[in-house]
Formats: sequence, C-alpha cells, structure tokens
Amino acid sequence: MAVDTSVIGKPTSANRVRIERGPVSFFASALKDHNPVYSDPSAAKVAGFDDLPAPPTFSFAMLHMGKVGQEQPPDPTKGTHPMNEVMGNLMKEGGIVLHGEQDFVFHRPIVVGDVLVSEGVIKDLYEKESKGKVMTFIVMQTVWKDEKSGEPVVTETFNLIHRK
Amino acid sequence: MRSDSRVTFSVPAIRSAAMTQTSSKIGYDKISEGDEAPPLEVGPLTRTNFVRYAGASGDFNPMHHDDTIATQVGNPSVFGHGMLTAGLLARLLKDWFGPEALRKFQMRFSKQVWPGDTLTCTAKVTGKREAPSSDGQVEKLVDVECAVTNQDGTEVLTGTATASLS
Repeated sequence: MAVDTSVIGKPTSANRVRIERGPVSFFASALKDHNPVYSDPSAAKVAGFDDLPAPPTFSFAMLHMGKVGQEQPPDPTKGTHPMNEVMGNLMKEGGIVLHGEQDFVFHRPIVVGDVLVSEGVIKDLYEKESKGKVMTFIVMQTVWKDEKSGEPVVTETFNLIHRK
Repeated sequence: MRSDSRVTFSVPAIRSAAMTQTSSKIGYDKISEGDEAPPLEVGPLTRTNFVRYAGASGDFNPMHHDDTIATQVGNPSVFGHGMLTAGLLARLLKDWFGPEALRKFQMRFSKQVWPGDTLTCTAKVTGKREAPSSDGQVEKLVDVECAVTNQDGTEVLTGTATASLS
C-alpha cells in the first residue's frame, strides 16, 4: 500500500504551556532522579537557574502535563490530528505502533515560570520493508518557543513506526 | 556501580551544598575522546515504574500499563515507554555534564523494555570541537555516543548527544 504523502507539511497542533514546579518535580522522580535541583528552588539557584530547571526530556511530556488550564491557541488541525489519522487508518488492519526515534535540539534549558508556545508539523511519511514486513514511518517536528521573547527553546523530532 | 540509590537530605543548606557537588560538571579541558561516563544502572523495573512515568508524562497509552490490552495485540506483557528509557539516559548525561549543558540528544529505540529488566546507561566521548554559537561566542562542544542495554547485554536504545562545556 502506497502512503499518501499529501499529509507532509500539515500542522499537527498549536500549544501553550506554563512550566510549573509540581509537574517538573514529579517528572524527575519518575526518572528516579532525586537531584535537589529538580525539587528545591534554593538548590536550583545555586546551580545558576532562576527556578527549578526541567529534566532534558521533559518537553516531550509538556503537551500532556502543561496544557491543563492554559489558554490555548486556535487548533490548526480543525480537529483531525494528521499523525493520529495516518496511524489510525493503518491500525484498522492490525499491527502495532512503536516510538522509533526521537531527537531533541536544546537552545536553552526549560525553567519553571517559562510560558512556552509550540507548533507541530508533519515532516515526513515513508515506508520501508524489513524481513518481508512493511513498516510505515511518520515524522513530526515540534518547535517550542519562549512566548515572551519568541526565541526557540527546544526543537523536537518524533518518529513513530507502524509495524504489521 | 550506582544502582538507583536514594540519597535524602533533610537540611536545605546541605541540599544546596550537595547540589554544588553534583553539578560540578566536568570541564572541557578535562575531558578527552574515549572518556566514559560512570554507568548508571536502574532496575529491576516494575509495572509501578511504568505507571509512575505514565502519570508524570501524561502518556497513558495502555501498552504501558494494561496487560489485558498489551497481550491482545501479541505482546507478552506491558512494556516501558521509550521516553522512560530515554529519560534515564538523559539523567546520566545531565549528571556528567550538568543540567544546562545538553545541546542535542538523538536516539533510536531498538528493543522494548519489559517489567523485570535492569537497564544500564552508558556514554562515551567521540570528539571535541569548538563552534560559533548563536550569540557570536565560541562554544566548546563535546560529542558522545550513548546507549542503554538490558541485563542480557542487548541494546534497547542507542543514541548520540552533544554538550556545551566551559
């Protein structure tokens, strides 16, 4: 089955999150990281931060944790997330969806108090055959920016695989 | 080898002092190609670890906490979030270079992580270079290759990272 590459370039979401102490601390503890920089503002200050910094992979969780109660920008997808649509259609014929690759570019650390905005876009969609099985890859990129300065903070690239 | 040690401090002043120590990141001049980070071992991982990460990340894909659904699609059980494994490896890099040093972290998830697995995170310097930064300064960058292996020595994640050191 050929993939419909018209999805490339489509927006996936627009988001706004406020970084708060509770979710940052809880996230660090779920990684069994008990470094006080993630729980004690005075330790964070000693380390040179204005408030608690977020662990490096926190941006991947912000979409779920940080949107609650925040004013959101208009949804550019008109209700249909293109990644969910592609994977949903493939899953109708069975198989499994796996997180294949992940890429972070850190422009600066995320710190409690930040208000960040992001836009996501589908970067690629392709198929590969491995051991007689077709795998479909979909790549989404999300750029997080500081709402106040407009400067980029983290760029994330997420590669999801559907395998039959 | 350090294995999920929980050190607790009761006095804020001591916590700050400990932080200064734990964030005494390695200097650019002190690090060489081939240097390895002290490995970080975590495990055995339990379903509770997965559920805790699900709650902390908001990722409630049932493959990671609901055995009924996970086995229906052919898995022997639930399996861990790839980003839980990635987060543990990021912790090793952060412990080595400091909480503000990472510039890039990219990874490929090659195998699933199952309840009972013990993971070992490793990282090794592959190169050092100086490059112009966005603000016109020179950044001293260290490139590493990194991996997470399970108790059988099988790689579950492989990656590369770049840190900026002073």
